[in-house]
Amino acid sequence: MSLTSLPPLPPDTQPEPIPQSSRPSIRSLWATCRSWSSRILSLREDQLFMFLAVLIGIFSGLAVVCFRIAIEWVHLVTLGSSMSPPVPRVLVVPVVGGLIVALLVIYAFPAARGSGVNQTKAAVYISNGYIPFNTVTGKFVICALGIGTGQSLGPEDPSLQIGAGIASLLGRRLNLSQEKVRLIAPVGAAAGLAAAFNAPISSVIFVIEEVIGTWSAGVLGAIVLAAVSAVITMRIFMGSESLFRVPPVRVANAGELLAYVVLGVIGGGASLAFLKWLAYARPRIQKWPNWTRYCQPAAAGLVIGFIGIRFPQVMGAGYSVIDQALHGQFSWKLLLVLAALKIFATGISFLSGTPGGMFAPTLFIGAMLGGAVGSFEHHFFPSLTGTVGTYALVGMGVFFAGFLRTPITSVFMVIELTGSYTAILPIMTANLVAYFISRTYQKVPLFDLLARQDGFVLPSIEEQREQVPLTVEVAMKTDSSVVALPDELAADLARRTEEQKDALILVRMNPGQWLLLDRDELRRLAADGAMTTKAAEAKPRGPLPILFRDQSLEDALHAVGDWPAVPVVSRADLSELEGVVTLADILRAFRNASPE
Amino acid sequence: MASSTSTTSNAVIPKKYSREIVFLATLLLLLVFVIFTAFAARMYHKKYHVLGDEWFARGEQDFHSGNAAAALSDYRNALLYSPGNTNFQFHLAKALAANGRNDEARAYLVTLLSDSPGSGETNLELARIAAHGGPKMMPDALRYYHAAIYGVWDTDPIAMRWQVRNEFCEYLLDNNAMNQAEAEIIALADNTNPEDFGGQKTAANLLLRARMWSRALQEFQTLLSHDPHDEDGLAGAATAAFQLGQYPEAEEYLQRLPREKLADPELARMHEVSRSVLSLNPFEPGLSTDEKAKRTAKAIVLAEARATACERQNGGTPSPRVPASSLTSALATSNQNAADWTERNLRKYPERIDPAMSSVFEMEDAAAGLCGEPQGSDYALWLITRSRAGNSK
Repeated sequence: MSLTSLPPLPPDTQPEPIPQSSRPSIRSLWATCRSWSSRILSLREDQLFMFLAVLIGIFSGLAVVCFRIAIEWVHLVTLGSSMSPPVPRVLVVPVVGGLIVALLVIYAFPAARGSGVNQTKAAVYISNGYIPFNTVTGKFVICALGIGTGQSLGPEDPSLQIGAGIASLLGRRLNLSQEKVRLIAPVGAAAGLAAAFNAPISSVIFVIEEVIGTWSAGVLGAIVLAAVSAVITMRIFMGSESLFRVPPVRVANAGELLAYVVLGVIGGGASLAFLKWLAYARPRIQKWPNWTRYCQPAAAGLVIGFIGIRFPQVMGAGYSVIDQALHGQFSWKLLLVLAALKIFATGISFLSGTPGGMFAPTLFIGAMLGGAVGSFEHHFFPSLTGTVGTYALVGMGVFFAGFLRTPITSVFMVIELTGSYTAILPIMTANLVAYFISRTYQKVPLFDLLARQDGFVLPSIEEQREQVPLTVEVAMKTDSSVVALPDELAADLARRTEEQKDALILVRMNPGQWLLLDRDELRRLAADGAMTTKAAEAKPRGPLPILFRDQSLEDALHAVGDWPAVPVVSRADLSELEGVVTLADILRAFRNASPE
Repeated sequence: MASSTSTTSNAVIPKKYSREIVFLATLLLLLVFVIFTAFAARMYHKKYHVLGDEWFARGEQDFHSGNAAAALSDYRNALLYSPGNTNFQFHLAKALAANGRNDEARAYLVTLLSDSPGSGETNLELARIAAHGGPKMMPDALRYYHAAIYGVWDTDPIAMRWQVRNEFCEYLLDNNAMNQAEAEIIALADNTNPEDFGGQKTAANLLLRARMWSRALQEFQTLLSHDPHDEDGLAGAATAAFQLGQYPEAEEYLQRLPREKLADPELARMHEVSRSVLSLNPFEPGLSTDEKAKRTAKAIVLAEARATACERQNGGTPSPRVPASSLTSALATSNQNAADWTERNLRKYPERIDPAMSSVFEMEDAAAGLCGEPQGSDYALWLITRSRAGNSK
């Protein structure tokens, strides 16, 4: 029964008996809702997946808004509203915060450890997309507490995991297929990150570049939808302003790219040093006695507190400080000091086991380094036209590319934050320089490194990206076949191939249609007394597949199947044979390509 | 259909709830979540707004009580809660400048200027910072002052532009940029409201500082026509008249000043000199022939004494500016005509007064060139000389 089918009330009916009239209304409303719900749920699963992506985006956006507010609230309550809190507070608050964080992580939310990116990847590749909701709650509470009390970490990576956790819960509760539940976590991850960053494009690219690793059409649409809905939701509640105000970007001539190359080298070197330090220190700290886990976050908090007495800018995520650096409000010496201290503070916060993200500190360090290099270069080369803010902006991308090793995200992130393509050349140049320096001297990227240190092997997206695919060309043989025309007499062909006992005989039928002639079959045809049987009269086993030299060996494996050989033909002329490939050839090519 | 597919191995699905109910519960939860987030976000923005305003108010209080360092910190805190607030940024820049952190202040102001290039107050602050940067920054100061004068002012633009131009004129005069100063001061005087006596007085004083005596006198006279007893007006008019060699007018203005005002050393000196000039000058209109002769004879005696003393003091050493011979020849001329230029002969032959006074002027001029600016009555005679020379030119 629907609302529209309710009988109209007589005009003289008094409004007194509300319970009598409301009872059927509620029932019919419930029925309508269930009917709509059934309709939505009876959509094809891929359509439902898209609908859920929007829902996930909204949920993630709301969660991230609350997360941001929670961080600020904790900061205001504990450290106060001043940029430079009183010394006792600066020393006590991070220590107490660290102690509570340690207790929560050890006793209540052990799965909330880490930044959140690897945990989401692990959920996708190990747990079929399952992220317990307890982790989401833990991440929310602990990160708000840790970042709010001054630990030098950021809210983006936790937001990514919060989004993924919400998506995972929704997928499970709505009984999606296992494949979809696995895919839905990255959808939520993109939504969470997009809301935290207020940058949907970079978030989508990051999730594809770092979490999924492939541009899968099946999930790309959902990821984009979720990211967009999350950002819209976030903007409704928090406003459309960027995390930091972007200064006017100016790059007057291409010759200045050299100055940005210098920035790329310095940023690459700094990110490499940070990576090496984490890679060296983390396994050693993990070997410390168990009881130290109770006080590691507090100890990190104490060190950060001491730094915070003189340099409070280092505490927390530091968006407002990035904003100031972008507007050239620090001297280059102070910028350098802040960059070095932030590397140290973020390192000890992360190594202490405090859950929190690396995105904001990465941007902070990059902005400080960029600003310092820009100010320094301006001082000695006043003819450079790029503002200090432009250098700081490029620096953010540089450190991001070198440290997190997501070069495409780093470029798009800066473009998206600036809303301008003006600095595209410096960004691309400097980011790639930093990326190559980092990759050359630190083979394993940060997230893979952390995963391996934690004892599980996640697919390395960087390795996948850089893997050169094996193609048919590597395996095919060019001189092991004889090509016959369809009207060639079988007897003549048999005579012609008598000498080449191992050669495969391929009959060129129509363009793109080939016939593999078995020797027994040829002998049978040639045995015809009249000697008039032609090669084309052989009985084909079925349509012989063809391959092209640029196709992957995986494709070739599928194509070869039970065929003794498959012809490799030219894409320009399907009747031109370029070679043949057999199963043995394919296996040999794989064997030769393997590192062992 | 999705409902028939398997679930994850780890998930615990409550079998008693159908998907429809879960879906509806999700939507309901979403609604609750939206309401909660809206409430939290509203509180958050409100709190931020309040904190920003509180810190700003504290900054204003500190700034106006002269504690620029505390104000700086307060404004920074205010901006933490309202980073895009241009008013906060502007005040922070002012506090930075007050703390001598001109580079940082400039960075803020340049950013503000890029948003509103025509802002009068931003340009004015940038001009002030440039003005503190010494002569090297003078082109910047001129550019920003001009932009401030012709810029946009939210409240009372005419008065603000007048004040900025006044400040600009002061800056130019302090930096001896007289040519630019003259043009700006004239513009300032022209743009001064005739009813604004304070403004007129300021403009007239600037004209005095720029040595535009005639225009200054005119301004002061206008001012005195409204208030004949205005002490600053009388002093200014006296100074301008004195510098123009209009000693009777100068003396008249000085006499109208109260005694305590005349205690000012500069005004007292002018008063004394004016009286001397008026008592020595034989060319004062309305004098009898006897008085003219008497003054001329006195002038000859004074000039000869000064010339003789100067010649003796100098010992015949020629000055690079005035050859000693000119003083000697002027003295010789006077001595040769001593008999003709007695008081009795001058009274008898008034036509000799002019050549006699010419000789006096020659002697005073040569002595001033050789021995420096004279004092007392000789100074008065020298001023009469200069005044006559100016008139004859």
